[in-house]
Amino acid sequence: MDLRETADESTFRLEARTWLEANVPAEPLASFDTAEGFTQHRRWEKKLYDGRWSAVSWPEQYGGRGADYIKWLIFEEEYYRAGAPGRVNQNGIFLLGPTIMEVGTDAQKEKFLPSMASSEIVWGQAWSEPNAGSDLAGIKSKATRDGDDWILNGQKIWASRAVWADWCFGIFRTDPEAERHRGLTFILSPLDLPGITVRPIAQLDGDTGFAEIFFDDVRVPVENTLGEVNKGWGVAMATAGFERGVSLRSPARFSEAVNRLVALWKRLGDKSDTALADAVTDVWMQAEGYRLHTYQTVTGMLEGRPIGAEASLNKIFWSEMDVRIHEIALQIIGPEAERMEGPLERWVDGFLFSLSGPIYAGTNEIQRNIIADRVLQLPRGM
Amino acid sequence: MRFAFTDDQRLFAEGLRDLLAKECPPALVRDVWENGTGHSPELWAHLSGMGVLSMLAPEADGGMGGSFVDAILLFQELGRAAVPGPVLEHMAVAVPALASTPFGASLIAGESIATLWVDDSPYVAHGGVADLIVRRDCVLRSFKSTDAHGMDGGRRLFTVTGGERTDTDVSVAGLDPFDAMALAVAAYLIGLSERMIEIAAEYARVREQFGKPIGSFQAVKHLMSDALLKVEFAKAPTYRAAFSASTGATTIARDISMAKALAGEAAYRSSRSTMQVHGGIGYTWEADLQLFMKKAWALMRSYGDANFHRRRVSGVVLA
Repeated sequence: MDLRETADESTFRLEARTWLEANVPAEPLASFDTAEGFTQHRRWEKKLYDGRWSAVSWPEQYGGRGADYIKWLIFEEEYYRAGAPGRVNQNGIFLLGPTIMEVGTDAQKEKFLPSMASSEIVWGQAWSEPNAGSDLAGIKSKATRDGDDWILNGQKIWASRAVWADWCFGIFRTDPEAERHRGLTFILSPLDLPGITVRPIAQLDGDTGFAEIFFDDVRVPVENTLGEVNKGWGVAMATAGFERGVSLRSPARFSEAVNRLVALWKRLGDKSDTALADAVTDVWMQAEGYRLHTYQTVTGMLEGRPIGAEASLNKIFWSEMDVRIHEIALQIIGPEAERMEGPLERWVDGFLFSLSGPIYAGTNEIQRNIIADRVLQLPRGM
Repeated sequence: MRFAFTDDQRLFAEGLRDLLAKECPPALVRDVWENGTGHSPELWAHLSGMGVLSMLAPEADGGMGGSFVDAILLFQELGRAAVPGPVLEHMAVAVPALASTPFGASLIAGESIATLWVDDSPYVAHGGVADLIVRRDCVLRSFKSTDAHGMDGGRRLFTVTGGERTDTDVSVAGLDPFDAMALAVAAYLIGLSERMIEIAAEYARVREQFGKPIGSFQAVKHLMSDALLKVEFAKAPTYRAAFSASTGATTIARDISMAKALAGEAAYRSSRSTMQVHGGIGYTWEADLQLFMKKAWALMRSYGDANFHRRRVSGVVLA
């Protein structure tokens, strides 16, 4: 155990910091869930890619730096420290990308990874359906084989980034006889094909960060199948593992948020309110605990101890912590917490966004079931 | 940056787990509670023989020459078994602090038994079985102990009077003995918590109501998962505090306080949830769960409770 950075890691950190300080836009970009903001964020992703900072943990041949997970965490720390823009293509770079590297063919890697790293193609996620949310295995959207094509039919919902994204990755039922987790296939599809209708859904904050996608006899080539036919559930679970585990919510995000919270408390907090000071400290400890826990997880992954169902613990922890950080902030800012525009709007936006955390990527109740069944080995219920 | 234990550290901890599974089953802990002194000389001899008691003493003095990183998983394993007696006090404070004093040789050999009296408590845990009491500025011998009837029979409390005093400055590798003990206790609380959760999970697998094992009900699953969550997220901060202690990091007081606060709260949550999962049997003297719960309740309040330690973190973070 040595929790100090190596010289090589410090050099990497300095290089990232220097580049970010020189390149991060001075003015915050518009939300990437607006048309204007989406374009701005795509441009920013291209800049990151040109500096080879868009996917640091990817192999160099696909536009990355071959950085190990420790360096990826260091990059994330520097990224949030610099106040750099949100990652519009996170569904692609952090979720789909690693999955393609694990199960994709060489042709798929060549075709999809570089354009993902540069955000020439931005990806949306098309998993949930109106009747397949927590019960994701209840998917009904179909893919029917016709020669060298799949014919897609059905409806997806809560498809993140789908309003302006270029492609989506979805799960479709390919064996109508098979039940539940069997007979599903993971298929990649452009979003501008004939037969596709994207209907934006306004989120709690009013932005259209997700959408419904209707597939009506949409034809995609079978080369767009990721992994084996009828084995899509396993592919999806690998993706979900990345999502719940370390990739989607890196600790730096919360370390940065609690540092802002501490600064907010220093500026506006009632210092005679010891319960408030305790709450701020408590959530600071949670963020620090999450950071340490992640470094431990990542060291284990580097040494061949992969993360399993414990990833569900992370998902509950970060999502509840994120809500808590923002609850405390709103308590501190008082009347400003009612305003959607103003000097402290970021905290109000952040609060609304934080409320999605315990719901998406598998609700926290589902995560608790997974922990109980697979970590604590309790008998299956339901 | 590498946040993992070495194979040697893991293997030593596994060896201790195996030893304790054999030599410190709940039946022994219960026997020590009900018939004994809160201490088992046979178990003590086993721990001494394995080198656990002398882990933190320098090799030159006859110890194992280990650091807090070497010892932290051992504290956790001791907690998993709810090991009775002044093992932590002896191992985490007395041995490293007094290794090179005239008291050192017999402490390292496990021939004399030491306990600790550095918190604000009017009571001294294990005062009845200890040959020495370590304070911040002295060592006491030949004192008089009177039973104060502690809740945890493996950690009997005493009031202490009199005694022969030897002045000495007690420090554990630069750490205040209170901090060294708080760190050891944090890891021990994690071990206790893990074991309580295992016991309750086992019970939930076999106890049936409504024709099904109660562990198949979501209300039970969620209670258990939430307890596990707190325990798992107390671990990395505790191991980090051990690293800070081993390297003399400037953040050591903050890091130990964070560990003790999180581990104490995790242990309390584990005790409540696992007792609830047990139902009526959880509220009995007969169920082994109490051996672990009462130890958790005693230790979460000793060497600074969660509020004390959270405020100490506040003092650094909000300064």
